[in-house]
Amino acid sequence: MSATAALRVPVPAGDGGTPPRHLEIVPTRAQRRARPRLYAALVAVGGIMLILLAQLMMSIVLAEGAYRIADLQTDKRDLGRETRAAQESLSQLGSTQSLTANAALLGMVSSGNPMFLDVASGAALGNASATDASPVGSAGNLVGNALVDGTTTVRGEGVTGDMQQTAVLTGGGSPADLMLTPVTAPGSVAADGGAHGRIPSPTMR
Amino acid sequence: MIEARRSRRRLTVAVLAVLAILATFSVRLIDIQVVRAETYSAAVDSNFYTATLWGTRGSIVDANGTVLATSVDRFNITAAPVNVKMEGFTRRVEVDGVRQTVRVSVMDALQEISDAVGGADVQAMYAALTDDPTSPFAYLVRGVKLDEFQRVLDLHIPWVYTQVQPARSYPNGAIAGNLVGLMGTDGPLSGTEYRWNDCLASENGTVGYAMSRDGVRMPGSEVVEQPAVDGGTVHLTIDADLQWFAQQSLAEQGTAIGAEWATAFVVDVKTGKIRVAADWPTVDPNDLDSAAPEDAGARSFTAPYEPGSVIKTATVASLIDAGKLDARTRFTVHAGYTIPGTKYTITDSFWHGDLAYTTAGILVNSSNIGIAQMTELMPLDERTAYLTRFGFGSETSGADFLAEDTGFVRDPADSDAVTSVTQQFGQGMTATSAQVASLYQTIANHGVRIPLTLVEGCEMPDGSYSYVADPQQTRVVSRDAADSTMLMLEGMTTQHPYASQLAIPGYRIAAKSGTAQVASGGGYGSDRIVSMAGAFPVDDPQYVVVVTFAKPVTMKSSSAAIPTFNAIMKQVIKTYRVTPSTVPAPENPLTW
Repeated sequence: MSATAALRVPVPAGDGGTPPRHLEIVPTRAQRRARPRLYAALVAVGGIMLILLAQLMMSIVLAEGAYRIADLQTDKRDLGRETRAAQESLSQLGSTQSLTANAALLGMVSSGNPMFLDVASGAALGNASATDASPVGSAGNLVGNALVDGTTTVRGEGVTGDMQQTAVLTGGGSPADLMLTPVTAPGSVAADGGAHGRIPSPTMR
Repeated sequence: MIEARRSRRRLTVAVLAVLAILATFSVRLIDIQVVRAETYSAAVDSNFYTATLWGTRGSIVDANGTVLATSVDRFNITAAPVNVKMEGFTRRVEVDGVRQTVRVSVMDALQEISDAVGGADVQAMYAALTDDPTSPFAYLVRGVKLDEFQRVLDLHIPWVYTQVQPARSYPNGAIAGNLVGLMGTDGPLSGTEYRWNDCLASENGTVGYAMSRDGVRMPGSEVVEQPAVDGGTVHLTIDADLQWFAQQSLAEQGTAIGAEWATAFVVDVKTGKIRVAADWPTVDPNDLDSAAPEDAGARSFTAPYEPGSVIKTATVASLIDAGKLDARTRFTVHAGYTIPGTKYTITDSFWHGDLAYTTAGILVNSSNIGIAQMTELMPLDERTAYLTRFGFGSETSGADFLAEDTGFVRDPADSDAVTSVTQQFGQGMTATSAQVASLYQTIANHGVRIPLTLVEGCEMPDGSYSYVADPQQTRVVSRDAADSTMLMLEGMTTQHPYASQLAIPGYRIAAKSGTAQVASGGGYGSDRIVSMAGAFPVDDPQYVVVVTFAKPVTMKSSSAAIPTFNAIMKQVIKTYRVTPSTVPAPENPLTW
């Protein structure tokens, strides 16, 4: 430090009279070129700014993406719940209790006896008349289901009392029609009023 | 020289600056990590929440995939009483295009919730809210469905929260309710739900996430700490439609004859798979109050009774197998049979003098006296050994139902003179309906017993099976013994007075009636357990049907079971498209 201090000691004013000339060592061309230039500094600072900006944009995009993912995950969860709720009501509507209630409402009855189609003559054998239907189920469903209430039966929906009647009498073009028409078919045994069909069965002793 | 000094100075300053920055960072780091660590971690924890990831309990399905038991989403509506302001809250609504602010009182809000969930006790909800006004949590409504839940959310009541609460649903109600079993709030209570819980049970997982101050889950902060594991699917061998038919016909006939309970079985002869195991009354698992506690299980597997004459089939098949008689062996059946060494006389259900019955005649006419006479042909221990091999007394039907009973056959060493005879026609021994079905499966399957199967397998969520039923078959009696017994039993549907009610045109059916006396108070009272058991078609047996009614009031003979037996057989024919018999029945003389 002392050396530095000594250097800084001003030259006494009265010594010589002429002010000392300011001397400066001019840097060589090579030295000048080696010095950092302004535009390099600008490039460096600008680059850093650019990087920061890019980082900011990226984090914005990332955050947005994260929110989007969270949103979509919520949507997925909600849709999953809706799917399961729909599945639940479908299985309730498809339950036997619901189907029997709806079928009865449409005037359908269950057929009791097995029916056979004789492929040789084309005649249907057996008795499928509704009046001789299986007694099972005709008195209404007795197998409970707390989930099936009035809301699972079709009401209105174009089914009027008349239509129900028609459905019972003619089969109304439903598959039941196929079962009921053999009443008039040649060789049919259903017409003989409830007797069991003339199935070519083995001798029963 | 000056230049060199200056650059050294600059370097010193730079190094000092870096050191200062480093020191600052270090101090800050120590401050955060050590000095204020607890404060910060507490602050972070308060923003970090753990939620349950619900695993889904597996379903129980029938042979066709019809869902008998499944898990459904239910939601609890909860509240934070501490956040409730008694003066109500404000809600912005748009009326005729004008945005307004309306004040909603607590009671109004509760009424809105009640309306949204289709009726809930407003007073009870109010009590839950005001019980402890400082509480952060109270239940308002439990277990609401998705649409109701959505309506509550749409009300935007500030102090209302929700919870997911998985629940169990039985879309087919009481169909196979006896087999499926019940679920309580804390877990399975009975039936398949309980027995197969290892397969069905799910494991809940946990997920951690950070929450912002305004209550939004911080995106990307979710950490699944423990993934949820879904349960497997239990595949039953049951056919739900056929099961319904059987339950319906049991209910109709059971009500008509005033029975106490009834069971019905349909078993696939060649695989031992149970297609129907019906009980009446049956519980609807959706509603635990739908049946009395004693009716909530499956008597068909768990309630042994004295089965009566349906056991005669086993006795006759055993004697034929041992070469002691054949279908045409001639017996003179007397008016009674006094058990040697006792004063006890066995009689038949109808009075008769001497009858010239063949073995077939004794079986078809169900003569107790004839069977008692046959017992003299084989010692007790051998007869008991045959009953044991048919599965009575020592093992269950094989269905592995929860609490399935083995029935009871007296050990020959402890037996008495009366039981040693009566056990051959199903008195003094007990069996479950499932065991009776297993007996007829063995006879129909040419003497080879395949333990009954109720659960086909346990399917894991990834589609693999952790369990597949693999019953081991055993030969009980010879093919000839079984087949000739089947042919004798056919006489019931061709030559017996009940034949016209039992027959189905085109099909050869083997059947045996049973009218068992029910023991009460040390003797036998007037109560009966009536049954019909059989298999068809006789020329290629495919299905066993067993129907049992206990303690009927109006009809105390086995004819009470015939309409149901017949109806179920017809339904089996239609369901499985059983083809008619092609071979005529051979001669089957009942008398000589």
